[in-house]
Amino acid sequence: MKQIAIYGKGGIGKSSTASNVAAACADEGYSVTIIGCDPKSDSSITLLGGHRIPTVMELMQQRVEITEKDVVFEGYKGVRCVEVGGPEPGIGCAGRGIIVAIKMLQKISTVMQDCDLIIYDVPGDIVCGGFAAPIRKGLVNDTYVLTSGEYMPLYAANNICKGFARLGNHLNGVICNSRNADNEEAIVSAFARELGSDLLAFIPKDPIVQTCERAGFSVIEKEPDSDIAKVYRKLARSIMERDSACDPKPLTDARLRELTG
Amino acid sequence: MSPAPKPLEPLIMHPRPSSIVAAMYTLRDLDVDVVILHGPAGCSFKHARLLEEDGLRVVTTALDESGFVFGGHDELVNILKKVIEMFNPESIGIVGTCASMIIGEELHEAVLEVNPDVPVIEVEVHAGYRENTKGVIIALESALAAGILSEEEFERQKVLLNEATEVEKRHGAASKEYLEPSRGDTKYAVAKRIIQLLKEDKKCITILNAKKETGYMFADINAAVNQVAKDLGSDSVIVNMANLDDTLGLDRVRAHARNIARDLRGMGVEVHEIIGGLDEYPVTGETVSKLIAEKYPGFDFAVITGVPHAIPMDNLEGMEIFSVTNGPRQVLPLKEMGHDHVMVEIDLHPKTLGVSNIVESEFGATLRELAREEM
Ligand SMILES: Nc1ncnc2c1ncn2[C@@H]1O[C@H](COP(=O)(O)OP(=O)(O)OP(=O)(O)O)[C@@H](O)[C@H]1O
Ligand code: SF4
Ligand SMILES: [Mg+2]
Repeated sequence: MKQIAIYGKGGIGKSSTASNVAAACADEGYSVTIIGCDPKSDSSITLLGGHRIPTVMELMQQRVEITEKDVVFEGYKGVRCVEVGGPEPGIGCAGRGIIVAIKMLQKISTVMQDCDLIIYDVPGDIVCGGFAAPIRKGLVNDTYVLTSGEYMPLYAANNICKGFARLGNHLNGVICNSRNADNEEAIVSAFARELGSDLLAFIPKDPIVQTCERAGFSVIEKEPDSDIAKVYRKLARSIMERDSACDPKPLTDARLRELTG
Repeated sequence: MSPAPKPLEPLIMHPRPSSIVAAMYTLRDLDVDVVILHGPAGCSFKHARLLEEDGLRVVTTALDESGFVFGGHDELVNILKKVIEMFNPESIGIVGTCASMIIGEELHEAVLEVNPDVPVIEVEVHAGYRENTKGVIIALESALAAGILSEEEFERQKVLLNEATEVEKRHGAASKEYLEPSRGDTKYAVAKRIIQLLKEDKKCITILNAKKETGYMFADINAAVNQVAKDLGSDSVIVNMANLDDTLGLDRVRAHARNIARDLRGMGVEVHEIIGGLDEYPVTGETVSKLIAEKYPGFDFAVITGVPHAIPMDNLEGMEIFSVTNGPRQVLPLKEMGHDHVMVEIDLHPKTLGVSNIVESEFGATLRELAREEM
């Protein structure tokens, strides 16, 4: 079983990449689970035809007895979707929400065990202990970093790699989600190499992603014949087949500036 | 979508025992040597102090503002190392608190880093559970994982704890949205009534249904009734029932049962019916009911000590009921059940920590003194 998480700067495209990879793997016949660990609970909408599902935390807030069928929903080709949920921005403690919800899930459901691929979709920044809960509780064994070729996303990706080192996690690969920066593929490729890793995929910037998203679908479901769908498929395959991982060696800030300069 | 899930019961407003504290008492019952509270220095202070009286060492990682913000991993590692060095313990418990659990501290990471060669029981608990027995269950689960508790005993304890929770919901501290604390009836007046009944040679059942070490003081009341009857030359038939089975439960709890039974013998009190172990107070009710129906019908009054609200009223009906509790919030529910006289032994629990002999109760002392005056 592959248990993965994709990290990267906020808004860089982790959730859309995660849902497209999930859909592509489901197409190949794998059983897939996606656990949305973002309080804004936007990880699974495009796998559920645009529908929102009740989140674990919102049910806990209502003090109701929760069973598997209340929080685990089947989406595109049987992908099982869970949203942890959490408070509105600026109140409460979203990190604690992730810890509580994951504990609850482990108790009431086997979605975190019985599948070929499980993706934990976490928000941009691992702002506190709670957001690292999937990793720290040993639920994630493969981690990927998603970045564009711009300085800030690379800076964030580099920082995350420092975090991996502290949490004792490996890096299984770098993914580029293009923002049409100059020389982008070469930059991210060099970044990956210098970390000690590889560039797994170069996902072009394509308005199709947002068109599908607005309609409530993944690209894989709605535009299966598009070029970008092929890229997601290839990425999905290499995630399922890869075994290699490295202890990333973060770059210096000066080197990052040089790369992007 | 699935049908609307079933809502839980409404909230209870009065303060109740903490699950963190419950976890610590459980570790004491498991004979753990040192407990590290991972959290703020003042957390659970009163009980930490009491547990020290009972031979359990308690230390804290003393998380402060910066610990809350940056995490307390290093503090926990340091304290764990220090505890091993200073106390050379044979087993260690690490108990979480709200503060450390909210920020997502992984107790296990510190244990992995220090890698002690004695068992460490990691209890991920905070004070925010609806029932404080949750703290006990989490502690027992961790003890099971650490290999210092058998599967069989774990299952047994789980059944008892669920029953204990049910007992509290039925007639205990969890039975109402708000319960006013009360000191109960005055011991002097009630003692007088018991003496009168004994003088009239009324038939009496005493029931000790105590929770663990609290039996050291509650048993004194059952003993006092017997002693006073003798001193007064009463011809009352007195039947004593007690949950003093010393073949059940954790070693420490069995030892309490042995000690109390030994002292009762020394006081000339015969226990006629053993109704369970000292951890079985939530499940003895049925046994008592059956005994009364089958062997002891037609008694005039009953003196019930410990957890009187766990004994169903079915076969007590018709008797004058005297009950003694240590919970000021238990008075009202007991009166509502139909108990005629309810007394509270204030601050009983602290006095039963660190002892291995029966200790004198206020009500026992009152009874004895009044009886002396009568003679
Ligand atoms: N390759 C792409 N081409 C065009 N648009 C994209 C591409 N990838 C992602 N997007 C769009 O970028 C926006 C942000 O993506 P997404 O929500 O997946 O980011 P995220 O990294 O998950 O953000 P957060 O950190 O907030 O969780 C979305 O509207 C998405 O459709
Ligand atoms: S709030 Fe929780 S952590 Fe803080 S002192 Fe109270 S019980 Fe301890
Ligand atoms: Mg996202």
